[in-house]
Amino acid sequence: MKVLLIEDDVKTAAYVKRGLEEHGHVVDSAGNGRDGLFLAAGEGYDVMIVDRMLPGLDGLGIVKAARAAGVTTPVLFLTTMGGIDDRVEGLEVGDDYLVKPFAFAELMARINALARRPAIAQVPTVLRVADLEMDLIGRKVRRAGREIELQPREFRLLEYLMRNAGRVLTRTMLLEHVWEFHFEPRTNIVETHISRLRSKIDRGFDAELLETVRGSGYLLRAPT
Amino acid sequence: MRSSWKRCAARDTCFVPLPRLVRTASFRLAALYAIGFAACVLLLGAAAFWSTRSALEKQLTRRIEAEMMLLEQEFRASGIDRLIATVQQRTRVRGNLDYFVADPAGKRLAGDLPVISDRLGWVAYDSGEATGEKQSGESERILVLVKQLDGGFRLGVGEDLEQVGEMEDTFLGILVPALGIVLVLGIGGGLLLSAAFLRRVDMITRTADAIIDGDLSRRIERTGSGDDFDHLSATLNVMLDRIVGLMENLRQVSNDIAHDLRTPLSRLRQDLEEAQKRELTAPELKRVIEGAVAEADVLLETFSALLRIAQIEAGIRRSAFRAVDLSDVLRTVAEAYLPAVEESGRALRTEIADGVQVDGDRGLLSQLFVNLVENALRHTPDGTTITLRLSRQPAGALAEVADTGTGIPADERAKVFRRFYRLERSRTTPGSGLGLSTVAAIVELHHAAIELLDNAPGLRVVIRFPARA
Repeated sequence: MKVLLIEDDVKTAAYVKRGLEEHGHVVDSAGNGRDGLFLAAGEGYDVMIVDRMLPGLDGLGIVKAARAAGVTTPVLFLTTMGGIDDRVEGLEVGDDYLVKPFAFAELMARINALARRPAIAQVPTVLRVADLEMDLIGRKVRRAGREIELQPREFRLLEYLMRNAGRVLTRTMLLEHVWEFHFEPRTNIVETHISRLRSKIDRGFDAELLETVRGSGYLLRAPT
Repeated sequence: MRSSWKRCAARDTCFVPLPRLVRTASFRLAALYAIGFAACVLLLGAAAFWSTRSALEKQLTRRIEAEMMLLEQEFRASGIDRLIATVQQRTRVRGNLDYFVADPAGKRLAGDLPVISDRLGWVAYDSGEATGEKQSGESERILVLVKQLDGGFRLGVGEDLEQVGEMEDTFLGILVPALGIVLVLGIGGGLLLSAAFLRRVDMITRTADAIIDGDLSRRIERTGSGDDFDHLSATLNVMLDRIVGLMENLRQVSNDIAHDLRTPLSRLRQDLEEAQKRELTAPELKRVIEGAVAEADVLLETFSALLRIAQIEAGIRRSAFRAVDLSDVLRTVAEAYLPAVEESGRALRTEIADGVQVDGDRGLLSQLFVNLVENALRHTPDGTTITLRLSRQPAGALAEVADTGTGIPADERAKVFRRFYRLERSRTTPGSGLGLSTVAAIVELHHAAIELLDNAPGLRVVIRFPARA
């Protein structure tokens, strides 16, 4: 994957670049808004990671300018911790946001989810992962032909996992998408919900679809 | 000026020096008003004076004209001798009018007025001038109507203006003192008024100065009269209370931050020190580093909680308030926590009314109830029942998070909202001591009221939301 990183803090930039390169991605980085905008407009990137606070042109301005220039690359904003309102602004202009300091696994999970997001999502009516099937219109879930009863919130959780099948989703991402909690509760409520969901969709079937990725999050995928 | 009232501040009653009094806005206004009022009185007086005077003069001239007509008729009918006789008789009787009759040579034939031979018509003169008597005290203004009669005779009918003069004197005698009284009353009233205002203003200034000098406990005295100054003083006092509260808060928070962050920081340092040792094996090193990262996470979490509270307290999110379905918020929280609560051996019950709406920020309201539920989850023994309630009230909405745990002692209930405050028995439970501070900040942002009550046994947290605007 080709990633553009616009970040003025040298240490953070090096940390992100090294990490992404270790995962086999190609990273171009720019230390200021002007260079970043120039690169974004010229090269075809899969994902842009943009710091909100930059010298000169700020992150929001860069992305607005890039969008105006016809660049549709998905954008992940990096914001400093505690910036409650940054989220709203960030999501208006960009596609996702991440609060600093962040775990690298969180960043990886988010850019993976962003990069593979279809540009114009064709609206599927049925989601499938291996023998697990979700009927979005009838709001029914079946595995190997057997119907599974889910609570509304469990349905939402499974839908999010299925739409991102094969990708790691972090605790924070699940909290944001499923419960709309944009803060970190102390209790691991995600874990308890995942284990309930797992008992419904995996228990009694030959293969486990819902995996726990230690230190990162959760992953739903067809067994290989 | 500063030193002058500093001196008077030492005494209880305060004499306000006159120059200061004169400079006050209220005095200036009063003086301006008094002068304006006096000018009006003067104008009115002058108008009355002139109209009275002209009316008097008109009356006078009519009388003279009527007498002149009478005498002319007599002259025309009966000749000069008859006229002389009549005039002599009238002069003897000594009415109000004076006369002269003169022959063509200008010699006075009858009457007591000096002959005016050079002019005709209305003539006014000072009697002193005409008679050569120079005692100005007795000189009178005289108004005379002079007519030429057939045969070169002249007739003059006149009257002194004594009456008009008397009227003028009376008028001035009233107007001048009246003007004086108006000015004295106006300016004196202004002085009194400004002295009263100044006393009140000084009271405020003195208090402000004491506060500037460092005595933050000083408050402006109130007279209890309920006037503007009293209201102003009350408002200023509330403002001062708030400022002092905030300062106190800040001082406490910075102390607490310093105190509370020392522990994780020193643990972090210990971990790093241990990692420095060469003889550690790879798994040992990994364990130590994991410990250090965990400590750093605690620090970061504390900081972001503090920043979050600060941001909430700054009130910037109020502009983004909209109608929030509180019923849905509580249900989502209950649903999110049900598995965790059940797995911990506790029970979660809900009594949530449908469609209860408040003005607010959905994200923060979720966090508010998440924090309360987590508190109940962490600080209660197994077997506790946690209840989430929401009802519609005439004055808004009433939300409640109750548990059947050990509760909070009454004397500690107010303190738990303080940053980093932790009950003695909770010291060992993990937590930053910021959960309830965040709750308090969110409640305050939503203009709601929070109360900690005894659930007998356990704790009942009651939050009253105002009705939607």
